[in-house]
Amino acid sequence: MKRLILLGVLAFGVLASAADITWMSTQFTPIAEGEFVRSQILAPFAEETGISVDLLNVEYAEFASRIEAEYQAGAGEVAVLCGLHGDLAPFAYALADVSGITPGGTISPTLMAKGQMAGKHVYIPLMQATYLMVVNVKALAYLPVGANIWALTYDDLLAWAKNIYEATGEQKLGIPAGPKSLLHRFIHGYLYPSFTGYQVLAFDSAAAVDMWNYMQELWQYVSPAAPTWDAMDTPLLSEEVWVAWDHTARVKEAIVQRPNDFIAIPSPAGPAGRGFISVLAGLAIPETSPNPEAAAKLIEYLTSPEVQVKILQGVGFFPAVAEASGAVPAGALQILAKGVSAQAASPDAIVCFIPGGIPDEYKKIYKDTFYKFVIQGQPVDLEFLRAQATRMRELYLKAGAPYPAPDGK
Amino acid sequence: MFPVNERLRKLLGTDSLLPYWLLLPTLIFIGVFFLMPLFKAVSLAFYGDTGFTLDYFKKMVSDVRFFDALKFTFLFAVTIVPLNVATALAMALVLNTGFRGSRFLLYIFALPLGIADLAAGLIWLSIFTHRGFLNSILYALGIVERPIHYLSYQNINYTFLSVVAAEHWRATAIVMVILVAGLQMISRDYLEAAEVLGARGWKKIWYVILPLLKPSLQSALIIRTIFALQTFAVVLALAGQITPVLAGEAYFWQFLYRNSHVASAYAVLLMVISIAMTWVYLRYLRSKTEVMRG
Repeated sequence: MKRLILLGVLAFGVLASAADITWMSTQFTPIAEGEFVRSQILAPFAEETGISVDLLNVEYAEFASRIEAEYQAGAGEVAVLCGLHGDLAPFAYALADVSGITPGGTISPTLMAKGQMAGKHVYIPLMQATYLMVVNVKALAYLPVGANIWALTYDDLLAWAKNIYEATGEQKLGIPAGPKSLLHRFIHGYLYPSFTGYQVLAFDSAAAVDMWNYMQELWQYVSPAAPTWDAMDTPLLSEEVWVAWDHTARVKEAIVQRPNDFIAIPSPAGPAGRGFISVLAGLAIPETSPNPEAAAKLIEYLTSPEVQVKILQGVGFFPAVAEASGAVPAGALQILAKGVSAQAASPDAIVCFIPGGIPDEYKKIYKDTFYKFVIQGQPVDLEFLRAQATRMRELYLKAGAPYPAPDGK
Repeated sequence: MFPVNERLRKLLGTDSLLPYWLLLPTLIFIGVFFLMPLFKAVSLAFYGDTGFTLDYFKKMVSDVRFFDALKFTFLFAVTIVPLNVATALAMALVLNTGFRGSRFLLYIFALPLGIADLAAGLIWLSIFTHRGFLNSILYALGIVERPIHYLSYQNINYTFLSVVAAEHWRATAIVMVILVAGLQMISRDYLEAAEVLGARGWKKIWYVILPLLKPSLQSALIIRTIFALQTFAVVLALAGQITPVLAGEAYFWQFLYRNSHVASAYAVLLMVISIAMTWVYLRYLRSKTEVMRG
């Protein structure tokens, strides 16, 4: 019996290594997603090129230790990697320069530049998720003169919300500020970088004071029910709000139900630029990759517009490739994809990454400040901002974590 | 005596030990599922990586929302509990007269008991929300020109009253059930004697029924006050972040900001307040017999 098991294990080992290359990924970990990638994306690739790929789904801890171990050993099994920017960035030293690889479609220079570190090009963007604005077409009639809907500024947004209020008597701007909302993302990844240029470093700057004063003014036109909302799809559908900001996944349902009534547009720009968060996943090749040529072919294939659209449909992540946005079938996903790629391609973009490696308490620091100055409407108080900034710095200091982009350069 | 019994008897010791053996399963249950977590929670609040510390309590008190949470927790408790008890007492007295259909009414009154508090919060949310039932009705009747925002920071009193209404609807039933049981335990003899001596109506309620109902009132008050201090789901559903409460802050620290230490500090504070309130009730609401006994 023991011998049988041993044989079985050996046979399995042989079968498993029968694939030409191994693709280790922290993404597509839900079983359904993994299955989708294997059958709908990797199987056609094997047919097309004759290269069979074994997708290895792992948690971050295993991902990290395996990259490190193979690098130390100077030889490895893993040919290609897929991870979030934050998964890959710490291993820049162990990753090969991929600047020689031509992606299957056009990737905007802003996105592409994110893979630039340690003097080389470490990864090629694969897919992204973000937060943006969704607008009911009824609101377009009140757009301030001269404002470009695809390149709004925060001043435009204020004038727009004011116009709507004066015309309808209702506060139709929506920002999710409920207990389980993603309000903290709006503050650290949108407001702060747009007004101050940083997520953390300028927390208590003069520009931050201006920003909080601006928010107090804007808040007059934000629906008073905002502190009860966790996601904006429902208030958009009930038309309690016409203009809303939220994560793509949290507004998608509104567009799916009424695709003709909504458009998705980039978030506004402030004095420092257009700050927005990119949840960016990329493809990298370890220095120790046993088959860099096949790996490069896989990367070209995965960044081709057709495959990018498949990923959007099967996994819900948006394309990194410009041509793919046009190739998304009409409907809700196309409306969202158009907004996502317009935002990513903004010339004044300040791409922000989500802080990592620090306790989640940082969310509370952003939210509490918002709660005090904006929701409670207390006067903007520099002393309080300084105290909160100190708390924030302590979190990073204690954890020894780097500041996220755009701060940590 | 059967031999098996004999053996068991030897094993268990004398008869005087038997009650303790019988209590053992319950004690183990309470120990494992109540005392151990309690001990763990308390130690989480006081011990960090570097040993004993009051930092978590300092963090709790210096929290921007702490005093708001404390204020609203007490405001809700002192508003809701008396309302609960007064309404439940009225309902129980009416039901206790035993008129035709009183049994049916008892079940109707007790319905909210079967509804989870978050579900109750959501039911009331559908009433008070901007496009909810209340606004629809008021608008249809021409009473309001445009929907009113009941649940908003600008109308914090409306928000407060909405939560009070929802909690009152949800929690009165449990008090009523306790009081109905208490009323049914009052011997008919006392009531008849009172009537013979000429006590009717309010007099009978005030001088006979209420004093006899004191033990039930006491337990109802203790239960309701403790639960009112822990009110959280209804507040969360209706008011979101508008009216923070202590139990909600504990939840957020645990699940949103992932700091079990500060969450436990909040929990310990709530426990201390609950124990203090219970002591107050036990001290000042003792029935005559208890007072006589000492």
